Amino acid sequence: MADKGSIVCGFIAPHPPHLVYGENPPQNIPRSTGGWEVLRWAYDNCREKIRRLKPDVIIVHTPHWMTLVGHHVSRVPRLKGLSVDPIFPHLFRYNFDTAIDVELADAVHDEARAEGLIARKMTNPNFRLDYGTIVTSHMLNPGWDIPILSLSANNSPYYFSLGVGIEEMYKLGRATRRAVEKTGRRAVLAASNTLSHFHFDREPDPNLPEDMSKEHVFSHANYLWDMRVLDLMRQGKMDELLAVLPEFIEKTGAEVKSGGLFWMLAAMGFPKIPARVHGYWSVIATGNAVVEWDLTADANGAGAAAHA
Amino acid sequence: MPEGQIVKGYIVPGMPHVMLPRESSSRRELREACRVAGANAQEARPDVLVIFSTQWISVLGHLVQARPNPTGLHVDENWYDLGNLPYDFHTDLDLAHRTIDVATAAGLQVRPVDYDGFPVDTGTLVALNLLNPKSQIPVVCISCNIYAGREEELKLGHAAADAIRALGRRAVVVASSGLSGHYFTREITDDEDRIANEQDDAENRKLLDLIAAGKCAHAMDLVSDYAAKTGADMQFKSYYWLMGALGAEHAKARVLGYGSIWGSGAAVIEFTV
Repeated sequence: MADKGSIVCGFIAPHPPHLVYGENPPQNIPRSTGGWEVLRWAYDNCREKIRRLKPDVIIVHTPHWMTLVGHHVSRVPRLKGLSVDPIFPHLFRYNFDTAIDVELADAVHDEARAEGLIARKMTNPNFRLDYGTIVTSHMLNPGWDIPILSLSANNSPYYFSLGVGIEEMYKLGRATRRAVEKTGRRAVLAASNTLSHFHFDREPDPNLPEDMSKEHVFSHANYLWDMRVLDLMRQGKMDELLAVLPEFIEKTGAEVKSGGLFWMLAAMGFPKIPARVHGYWSVIATGNAVVEWDLTADANGAGAAAHA
Repeated sequence: MPEGQIVKGYIVPGMPHVMLPRESSSRRELREACRVAGANAQEARPDVLVIFSTQWISVLGHLVQARPNPTGLHVDENWYDLGNLPYDFHTDLDLAHRTIDVATAAGLQVRPVDYDGFPVDTGTLVALNLLNPKSQIPVVCISCNIYAGREEELKLGHAAADAIRALGRRAVVVASSGLSGHYFTREITDDEDRIANEQDDAENRKLLDLIAAGKCAHAMDLVSDYAAKTGADMQFKSYYWLMGALGAEHAKARVLGYGSIWGSGAAVIEFTV
């Protein structure tokens, strides 16, 4: 039997394709002159952390694989292809090639069912990974030398209510944690979502998307909300954070609604430790932050074990 | 060049269950209705199919497929276990660009997409499979903007019709859309499938009766209320687009089939002008 695994770190890891576009990696076809550097530099810190932690797997919860019946896990050993963003195809046409941790996929599936959730394994080898999974995975680990596991976003917070959605995500978080422990994995979690989500309805300049003189957050009210939430994360005020998130979602259309953050916090045991905000900026007016919860004892002292 | 015309219009379901798995006898009425629609559309000898799909979602205005020959293999993100959807079709580039030009002149934000590997959506591919199975007819594919309302979709439909007339095309226009949008959130067997609740069924039938009675313009006035009550597929805005193209005052309709797909409402409706 495998040694008991653990979740070593969790990131809010937003997925605007603009970040990949601004970086100009070889996998992406469109070329840019840069842009959104503050967020990309924030991701540089995460990359460095992941290199040091050497996790076995990165688990991504993505809002752009929206599923109607239950929670789905990618369960194909390798997925490869060209992902063209349906909204921003001029920015993101990315050749992806990744290993999937199928043993962990099976474990998450089984534990989710044990929680009473409907869960499905996606076993079609022709499946095209969604751009949320790809952008987040790339920004955390551009070399793709760590297997990933992609989890779908069940539609329950939109179809039923936010409360129902949150309950499901707490169950999925617990299930993920147990699956990680039982399979002996050292796992990094990634909640692939923005904060405030109101956006421009036209690109300021489609011919120069990286023109940062046109980039700004949608409204001051949204900015204040993003800062309020980030400040609670920085102070480790988990109870206050959980209490305010529903209003935050209602006021700012936050993509947090899709569930990833609730899932990740539940999987991490709702850690009351200060999160590190690596960077914040807008992308076509949406509020994006790269945030880290480091659950290793090195980062938090012996007390961290209670959370990790 | 003679002035073009729209020879038929259709609403068809965009869910893959009406075509996959291919040998299945499930949803017999809908499948038979789709077969009839396909045969009638072929018989109309169109030069082009213009398809508005609620599953091709856009947020920055509308998009129009401008790739000359989109090819690939699509796997639905929910129904991947039903099978793959290979595609290889030809775009009527002149009509695509003329539609964009006319719509832009009308004040809409409409852009072409011409990228290898751009994802073609399930709704478009299901409609193509039903109405153009051998891919012999050129196609214009149009996205569904999630923020667009009645006026914008009507304008976009008008723009498509104006472009069709200007270029002398015989066109079949197609809205790939479901009706009521409430669905089962649990696993079901085909035998268990039915409209998710009685109100949805009643509202679907009321709307279909109105459309079949030739009161297409009046039905348009009820769409907003209908969509709110039934969680209709993309607020059933595809109907606005279709009426913009066909002209609601003169459209006649025939409901070829009605049924459920995983609890949601689905119908095959044929329109003539």
